[in-house]
Amino acid sequence: MADLTVAVSESAFQRLFVVLRDSIRWEAQDSTSFGPFTAGYHVKGHLEGGSVDFRSDNSVLVDELDVRWDMFQFTLGLDIPEICVGGGCIDMPWPFPDICLPRWCVFSANPDVSISPDLAAFVAQELSVAGRPVVRYYDASIPPPLIDPCGLLRDLLVNASVIDPFPDHNQWHIFLNPDFIDLDLFDFADIVGNLIENALTAAVTALLPGGWVRDLILAIIGGIADFIRWLLDIPDEIDEWLSDLFNISFGLGDLLIQLVGEFFGACVPLIRVDDPLEVLAKEISTSVLLSGSPVELVAVTVPVRNLFVRVDDVEMVVQADVGG
Amino acid sequence: MPFTDHSDLFGAVHEDGINRLVRHIMRQRPSLFNYATPFFHNNAGLFCVKFEVDERVLKAKNPLFTEQEPLPILGAPVPIGLNFCLQLTDAQIDFHPGNVFGLPPELGALPAQRFALRLKGCMGIDCPSKEIIDELLPLIERFLVSQQQLAIGEIKERVPGISTHYTPPVAAVDNRERPRTIPLPTRQLICFCLELFAVGHFEWGSVPGSQQIWLKTRLDGLEIVDMQPNDMESAIECYLTTVLKLGILPRLIIPLEKMVLDVNKEFQEMGLTLGRTVTLQPSAVPADVPNNPAVEEDQLKAFMKLIITGGA
Repeated sequence: MADLTVAVSESAFQRLFVVLRDSIRWEAQDSTSFGPFTAGYHVKGHLEGGSVDFRSDNSVLVDELDVRWDMFQFTLGLDIPEICVGGGCIDMPWPFPDICLPRWCVFSANPDVSISPDLAAFVAQELSVAGRPVVRYYDASIPPPLIDPCGLLRDLLVNASVIDPFPDHNQWHIFLNPDFIDLDLFDFADIVGNLIENALTAAVTALLPGGWVRDLILAIIGGIADFIRWLLDIPDEIDEWLSDLFNISFGLGDLLIQLVGEFFGACVPLIRVDDPLEVLAKEISTSVLLSGSPVELVAVTVPVRNLFVRVDDVEMVVQADVGG
Repeated sequence: MPFTDHSDLFGAVHEDGINRLVRHIMRQRPSLFNYATPFFHNNAGLFCVKFEVDERVLKAKNPLFTEQEPLPILGAPVPIGLNFCLQLTDAQIDFHPGNVFGLPPELGALPAQRFALRLKGCMGIDCPSKEIIDELLPLIERFLVSQQQLAIGEIKERVPGISTHYTPPVAAVDNRERPRTIPLPTRQLICFCLELFAVGHFEWGSVPGSQQIWLKTRLDGLEIVDMQPNDMESAIECYLTTVLKLGILPRLIIPLEKMVLDVNKEFQEMGLTLGRTVTLQPSAVPADVPNNPAVEEDQLKAFMKLIITGGA
């Protein structure tokens, strides 16, 4: 029997997933200029849908998580050099006033030509990923291999301050090793479904006053749009089913994404647990000596043994022992 | 059977793990478990019980014990005292069913859903030899006479040749400018050990002014083994029970989130602010689980529900 056991039910995980999904929102914008040309973007998005399923083969499936864009706007601009005609004055002898010609300029704005299409309605992605937790022990005393692809990736991420460097002491590492990743860069089912639903909803809202009749029709429209989404999503469902069955991603894009995912899954741990683990921090005590002189007491650490993570169809369990 | 059959989250800790953890703390923070006069720095062999110390403690030159003033000799005209040591040598916990150690007959068999605690402490006190006392006695008497500190009457005679004021040596005054007690020379100590057994249970509860749910340790019974006379044993047991109930156990209450998972904190550390409030609550007894927290199968088990409030 393990010294420490922590278990999370699938139901709790699913509710946490919803909270987490609804809390994730992102927004980014930037612009730059290349001489007379300017380019910029403003994107804003969130996550929708999706589900989490614990499976009896020690894996977790995140299924059909939708990436939705509230704004997907790209700006391209061109600043044409200003061209002016006219202007200037003709000096006239007294008592006649000077004659000044009007001045006309074109291309005075900056940029003069700009387009900013918002493609949010036409862009949607859907992600399905299955993976399993893998626990490995990092022994800091063992030198890295001569050719260390993981080390190269880690160094890049460490330099970019994405992850902390590996320490000089031992650790337990928990990785998420992906079985398959299916990313639909253009989720046609949802794009078409959303367009139809939005168009019909706008038309009905404009035609009918508020009330139960309008609500009923809108509900029917929602049902129709869902049916269209389901119908158009059938090929993708088959693709995901096959990917899940054979534990490999189909399609060149998905295969590349899976390769990258597996690289991360093998090289970048999601969770690190120090071994030995600090249970009492080092402290400066003035009560140990009668003189009251400060003494730095060393941290109390305990060895962590047999760290183990498993998933079955009802729960995720983490267990560990305290070493002797 | 799944751990989370009747709850969202489950946490359990085994008695073996706690007992190993305590042993690690004893080896790495010996000053928490050993108290003695500074004399023992150079006479560690005189401790009543030898104790293991981790190499890191020795390397860092951490004190092996917390220094104490010598035991004062009451009535002595100058601050002299006896060297002593006090050691907590064993601390073990035993979750039901009891199988780590036996309980004394006074406490009976360990009941279901209860834990037992065994503490063993040893104390050693210096017993000055007859030679030292014979050597000191004339000096004490002479000092008392010169200081007119006798219990009966005033002495007309002036006794010369001894200082009229006790001035402690510089080294005997600590940073807090308090005169330190001078210990008598020590050759060996008289040691005795006592074993204390306690039985208790755990419960969830609130703390006035706090919104959190706390895991609390409650004491049901306490017994000191082989102490005579009985009234003294009862008095000391009553005192220790009060110390445990009001002094130590209230310090050991644990907020529920700390036991398993502080969800909000974990997400905050990931740089994510949750739009809703995620809290943990103990699973209901007996609707969800028969006992919570449960002390069974040599483990302390906690069953929790995940409550999500606020937001959409």
